[in-house]
Amino acid sequence: MVLIIGGSYQGKTAYARDNFPEAKYFNQLHLFVKKRLSELKKSYEILDEIKEATKEGTWVIIADEIGNGVVPVDSDDRLWREATGRILVELAKDADEVHRVVSGLGQRIK
Amino acid sequence: MLTLIYGGSSSGKSAFAEEYVCASKHRNKYYLATMEAKDEESKNRIERHRNLRSGKGFVTLEQSVDIAEVLEAIVHIDSGDFSTSSTGTDSILLLECMSNLVANEMFRDGQVNSAKEIEDKIIRDLMELQNHDMSVVVVSNNVFEDGIEYDQGTKEYLRALGHVNKRISVMADEVYEVVVGIPIKIKEG
Repeated sequence: MVLIIGGSYQGKTAYARDNFPEAKYFNQLHLFVKKRLSELKKSYEILDEIKEATKEGTWVIIADEIGNGVVPVDSDDRLWREATGRILVELAKDADEVHRVVSGLGQRIK
Repeated sequence: MLTLIYGGSSSGKSAFAEEYVCASKHRNKYYLATMEAKDEESKNRIERHRNLRSGKGFVTLEQSVDIAEVLEAIVHIDSGDFSTSSTGTDSILLLECMSNLVANEMFRDGQVNSAKEIEDKIIRDLMELQNHDMSVVVVSNNVFEDGIEYDQGTKEYLRALGHVNKRISVMADEVYEVVVGIPIKIKEG
């Protein structure tokens, strides 16, 4: 599995298509986490679901970096930010490659 | 030796910082905790961090403002028979984290202190810890990239934290940015 992380509108998807044209995509993982949290799923359940969904074949998981801001006022937003961060750290441990995209430029960090 | 470990929320920066400190061969390892247990959420955070570092041989010092005051306890422990490890000769201190310390210094004693005042104070306190011939590792937060226009008070806080981070980076031997748990060295020693 390949994990691609970066801020919004940084060209992550285009970078993924250029570098991993044959892979299957799990895009906007941060929004998937948000949706599952709204269904009252726990972080570890969401992580398990993602791992289960991406275990067959070559997968590229793409997520926005949402942790680089001021602590949100809303407690659901805080929960979302933390869950997304922790899930990404776990996925990064499992990943064969991790790439970070900044203004369209990818840097392999694992 | 001064190290800055920088990253976003839940980026795995604390886990890396603890690994980094434990990999160094210092006689005593200190953990300077700056977060105040104000509510249930901060209590849970503190508990999570305690679990994360349990069994790693840290001496925890709680100091939410005036961080140089921990020196008294450190001198006492370093000179006594309380050493947590018998190898090595010196000590290392992990400060977690700068974003809390800046907030605590800014909004203390029912007052709001200016960014300039607290930047200078925090850097002075940090230098005092450093002058004690101790390695210091500072964990700090990237809170600067959400593109939101905040009120004056929050802006002043962001300014203070940003300046403190920059000044530490200049003095630091090594600076790391942690992304999804992966440390990226952005300043070489």
